[in-house]
Amino acid sequence: MGTTASQLDKGMLSEYQELTFLTKQEILLAYKRFSELLPKEETNGLSYRIPMNAILELPELKTNPFNKRICMVFSTSDSHDGSLSFDDFLDLLSAFSDSATLEIKSHYAFRIFDFDDDGTLGRQDLEKLVNCLTGGTVDTSLTPEEMKQLIDNILEESDIDKDGTVNLSEFQHVISRSPDFVS
Amino acid sequence: MTSELQRQHLRGEYDNVAGDGYPGDHHSLRLRRLPSQMSIHDLPHYNPSLSDAGDSEAGDHGQPRDLRSLPLPMAIKKAKLKSRGIQVPVLSKVELWKQEKLKKLRKFQTQAREFLYFLVLWGKTIQKIGGNFGGGVKSYFLFLRFLVVLNFLSFLLIAGFVIIPSLVFRQVGTSFMNSTGNERCTIYEPNPPGLVVFYNFFLDLLSGTGFMEYSFMFYGYYNNTMVGNSSFSYKIPLAYLFTAVFYFAFCLICIIARMGSAARVAVATGGSTVVNYSMIVFNGWNFGCLGETATKLKQKNLLYRLQVDLEEESLKKRAASLTLLKKFGLHSLRLLMALLVLGLNIAAFYGIYYATTYSQEQQNKRVNKESDGVQDLFFEYLPSIVISVANFLVPLLCDQIAKVEHYSPSITVIVALLRAVVLRFVGLGVLLFTLWNQITCTGNMDDAKCKECSYNYASYACWETRVGQEMYKLTLFDLLINIAVLVLVEFPRRMVVDNWSSKVSQMVGRQEFVVSSNVLGLVYSQTVVWTGALFCPLLPLINTVKFVILFYCKKITLFSNCRPPQKTFRSTTSAFFFLVVLLLGWMLASVVMIYSIAVIHPSRGCGPFRFSDNMWSIIPTSFYNLSAATQEFLFFIGSQAFTIPLFSLSGLVMCYVIALFSIYGKSVGLLRLQLKRENRDKQFLVKQIEELSR
Repeated sequence: MGTTASQLDKGMLSEYQELTFLTKQEILLAYKRFSELLPKEETNGLSYRIPMNAILELPELKTNPFNKRICMVFSTSDSHDGSLSFDDFLDLLSAFSDSATLEIKSHYAFRIFDFDDDGTLGRQDLEKLVNCLTGGTVDTSLTPEEMKQLIDNILEESDIDKDGTVNLSEFQHVISRSPDFVS
Repeated sequence: MTSELQRQHLRGEYDNVAGDGYPGDHHSLRLRRLPSQMSIHDLPHYNPSLSDAGDSEAGDHGQPRDLRSLPLPMAIKKAKLKSRGIQVPVLSKVELWKQEKLKKLRKFQTQAREFLYFLVLWGKTIQKIGGNFGGGVKSYFLFLRFLVVLNFLSFLLIAGFVIIPSLVFRQVGTSFMNSTGNERCTIYEPNPPGLVVFYNFFLDLLSGTGFMEYSFMFYGYYNNTMVGNSSFSYKIPLAYLFTAVFYFAFCLICIIARMGSAARVAVATGGSTVVNYSMIVFNGWNFGCLGETATKLKQKNLLYRLQVDLEEESLKKRAASLTLLKKFGLHSLRLLMALLVLGLNIAAFYGIYYATTYSQEQQNKRVNKESDGVQDLFFEYLPSIVISVANFLVPLLCDQIAKVEHYSPSITVIVALLRAVVLRFVGLGVLLFTLWNQITCTGNMDDAKCKECSYNYASYACWETRVGQEMYKLTLFDLLINIAVLVLVEFPRRMVVDNWSSKVSQMVGRQEFVVSSNVLGLVYSQTVVWTGALFCPLLPLINTVKFVILFYCKKITLFSNCRPPQKTFRSTTSAFFFLVVLLLGWMLASVVMIYSIAVIHPSRGCGPFRFSDNMWSIIPTSFYNLSAATQEFLFFIGSQAFTIPLFSLSGLVMCYVIALFSIYGKSVGLLRLQLKRENRDKQFLVKQIEELSR
């Protein structure tokens, strides 16, 4: 336990405190959970990248329908394989924390929903999103007619410039009128 | 060339991201202006520093910017932090010093926030509840916590100004003896002579009689002691009155302060109760830390909800094309159902009226004021029992009636809530009205019973204490019923559903935590406490203890017995709604208080106001004891020369605020239009470029 705590010295701790929405205790706890996932021989936890399937073993993320997208969005690895370093992990926790601003949450939520990474939420993205929310298997999803009706309604409500997709500004506009998003 | 331009156009979509995750580059720092400006007016947490993001290389403007609100990967944030540190700012000494102070202040703020986080009552528990059961259930517990704190603070207020001085000055002070006329009315014997059976202690505890009646609990114990010497004087009656008034004002201020923050959010978002599809879909993402079963449940709930809403929409389209005859039939059916509900309510009110009258008669008949066992206890609690039964049965029946009425789901919820609110408040009003009837012989001062002492002395030697006792009984019964339901209904239900799988148990299912009826129960108890606080000063303390017990009971039942809610309750607009209903309860209680202070004659045999015609008259008499300068000042404040300018000034301020509000609303609309136009321009330009490059 002594070695893990000493890897995070005071300077780095205060730096992380300034750059994220987490408190000191939360950052230390995050480091503890992160180092539990490290392989035994790795001593420097701060530079190692944990592969995606190890992250998905965390009980909080295991059953979350968006777990893969979350890993992909927060990962800064060059190979786009969804692996997270400790910095990425802290970014993830900061965006999901209670004190994060609406703008941060909406920004990351938009990226998580953007399944094809093209910068907007098109019909396929919305369809995949609804399937994730409702379960995705055959008996827990909407019929094709219901899906079409739902996506038509969503686009009618949120697509202000009527280009058939929801871009970031339109998404943030819809979200800003619904403060339940942050809670 | 075209493809290059198109790629840049696509990159431009991601205006505020610079990162390795995108097939883009790091240009976008300057382009970040666009979305931040869009979000100025409609985000509750607008960060002014973001609009300066493009100038970060141009040097510090003397304000440390909040780096953590930038949606960038950690590596880039660290680089920015470093670059900011390396920059040699060309600032004067004063600005440097200001910057240092600001940095220290922010550090102190973060540390204070972390420290306060531990002090907040039940913070962790409520967070856990929110994570597992959603915002609606969490808002109930937040509301409960607010009420606990409110009651505790009001108890401190009352204790400080009324109870402790009464305790201290009881022996020291002088009681003002002023016997005017009728000796008979001043006899008050709370403690009957003779032997008392042993179980009477327990019965007295439950009904507030016996040893409890003549104690600090109730109004009757306080004397009109006045302590005074040249430097310090303290009049208990005056203190009692002022404390009661101030207690109400304090509660009002707390409620309005809390409403202010909730209202700001509700107004900014348009406060629409109709939930549309985008909201459901975009807000459903937060699965929290749920386990596997809970996640599957939540998914099922979302599916169910989407299907129901889609079906409702297609039904609405069909309903719009109904023939005139069918519409007429539907409306007349609704009218009939409304009349039926009204009839049910009136039946409930009559029940309460008769129960209260009967109970009061039984209590007044008791010889020697001794409790004759459990039967008497039952009669004493009869009004509470009838009220609880009515509050349980009538909403249940109204739910069944609502199924026939075929309103859309959102309207059904609102209508059900309104009906429940009306039932609870009018029920309580009927109880108070019945008591008033009994005490003042229906306001008729020439009635035989009331002529002598200007209130019904024969039945109520000390009517304030009696009213206090009724409120105390209501509070206690409410707590007992909650615990009884918990033990006798919810735990067995869970055990039956879990261990015995049959069609019936599948249909009934696990308990669901219904937020609205629980909140109405809280509001009802708080209204009872407010009504009774004038007559039973210790009631806020009892209520604090009661709410704390209730918190833990509800928490236990939530985690052991309940399943996640079917319909997500909108937590933010509902928080505002709870406070509005609480305010209604406050108004009911204040009407009662004002009426008792100003109109009804206080008991002649007990209490600090026994020698006045009404409670309020103590104020004019003490007023003339003040110094002449103070009197003139107070007269001036009450005169027209002061109040008319004050009113006109506040009217002006209100007009200004309303104008500001409408301007902001209009700018939101204008910005939306601008967004539309800009995108059209962009598409037009891209088409032009394509044509030109061909």
